[in-house]
Amino acid sequence: MPRAGVTRLGRGSHRDPNVLSPGTPDTLGLVDHFFRHEYGKLVATLSRRVGVHELEAVEDAAQSALAAALERWPLAGQPEQPSAWLFRVAHNALIEDLRRRTQRRRILERTGRDAPEPEADSFLAGELRDDLLRMLFVCCDDALPDASQLALALKTVCGFDVREIAHRLLTSEANVYKRLARARARLREVPDLGDLEGAPLASRLPSVHGILYLLFTEGYLSSHAEVAIRRELCDEALRLGKLLAEHPVGRVPETAALLALMHLQAARLAARRSLAGGLLLLAEQDRTLWDAQQIRLGLEWLARSAEGDVLSRYHVEAGIAAEHCLAPSLAETRWDRVADSYRLLDRVAPSPLNTLNRAVAVAEWKGPAAGLAELEGFEPPA
Amino acid sequence: MPNYLCVQRSVPSDEARKPSPDEMQDLYSRFTAWQAKFEGQLVDLGGKLGEGRLVTSSAAPDGPFVEVKELVGGYMIVSAESLDGAIEVARECPGLVSPGSGVEVIEIRTS
Repeated sequence: MPRAGVTRLGRGSHRDPNVLSPGTPDTLGLVDHFFRHEYGKLVATLSRRVGVHELEAVEDAAQSALAAALERWPLAGQPEQPSAWLFRVAHNALIEDLRRRTQRRRILERTGRDAPEPEADSFLAGELRDDLLRMLFVCCDDALPDASQLALALKTVCGFDVREIAHRLLTSEANVYKRLARARARLREVPDLGDLEGAPLASRLPSVHGILYLLFTEGYLSSHAEVAIRRELCDEALRLGKLLAEHPVGRVPETAALLALMHLQAARLAARRSLAGGLLLLAEQDRTLWDAQQIRLGLEWLARSAEGDVLSRYHVEAGIAAEHCLAPSLAETRWDRVADSYRLLDRVAPSPLNTLNRAVAVAEWKGPAAGLAELEGFEPPA
Repeated sequence: MPNYLCVQRSVPSDEARKPSPDEMQDLYSRFTAWQAKFEGQLVDLGGKLGEGRLVTSSAAPDGPFVEVKELVGGYMIVSAESLDGAIEVARECPGLVSPGSGVEVIEIRTS
């Protein structure tokens, strides 16, 4: 007799309005990238329980749980709580693995054996969000180069595999392996990092902002063939940024400003691409293609960022992006404000690029001669 | 319609590697779509096969068949008008026919 078909949850599409890129076809009531995001959650939660020095065992357990789902669900039907099912299987696999090795090492004394298997409910609730963010903070270790932090976050928090990371960062798999090996070696030697609210992790907030910004930029600067694939990096940056902004540890004006900046830049993503696949300059872009929803979200976050007494580079950059998004045409852009903003940005985050950008804005505002005058005495960086 | 036994066999390949989470979800989506398409023909989705032993009249155990668990991954039973029809069902099954894996389709004779 034919077996009963797979349980279809029939919840329809759960596409997130914040997501820029289309994912896998949603036929199972699972959100886009469910497996990939579950992988990140499993790694985050399990490595908090047993310590990040066990990251490799944790990643193996998460991978094996997803493989078990792939094998079991088509036959037995999809469980009603897929996340809880995956967690149970991954948790058991990890404990089994650690127990096998505990003859030599006494890890279980401290962790797995005494800790009761968590209730599915607690896994699904806020604790999980904390774990995911905690893992992101763990990745942002100042002892690691940015490239390693980024690769580690993409692997553990976002759930991309080495090949996918290499593809998205336009580098070789060997290079990604090298970056990850360096990161894992570091994690094996760091002491327990404690909770998200604790001082060692909370002090990494600026690095977390930095890595999200880097993640977004990697996706944003893509051209031609890789556009759709690299846009996923923008999605990940927005997803994690939102998570951060909703958590006490990240609920600061800078996070809101960063989200504003990312949404406002994302609004122009589609319009930046020419039919031939190249990047279009601002003047060539069809402004009707700008994504109004992204602009709305960006302006909302910009409004929420306007508090406190810290003016971050994200505030200023979001302000500049907003000027462009709100201008009805290139000619009607408020170039005076843009030029002033670049001067401000140079005080907050000095860079020769700010002078160049300001000169361009001044040229649009007062004419080329005035623009060039801005560059008087300007020494291009060596 | 006759039934056919489909036996998954591993095929030597360098390309076999673990799928990423995104790839697994894609495989899962395609598998359920395949299941829906051939619903009427899937007699038994079977499952994975574990360790085994060959039992013969001879007292010697196993013999050359010790490798069976590494060669045979799983089985399922499909019904089809013909061998070619059964092959089509198996061929379209996501992940079954891929680098590192092939499927042997055998008619189950009942008369």
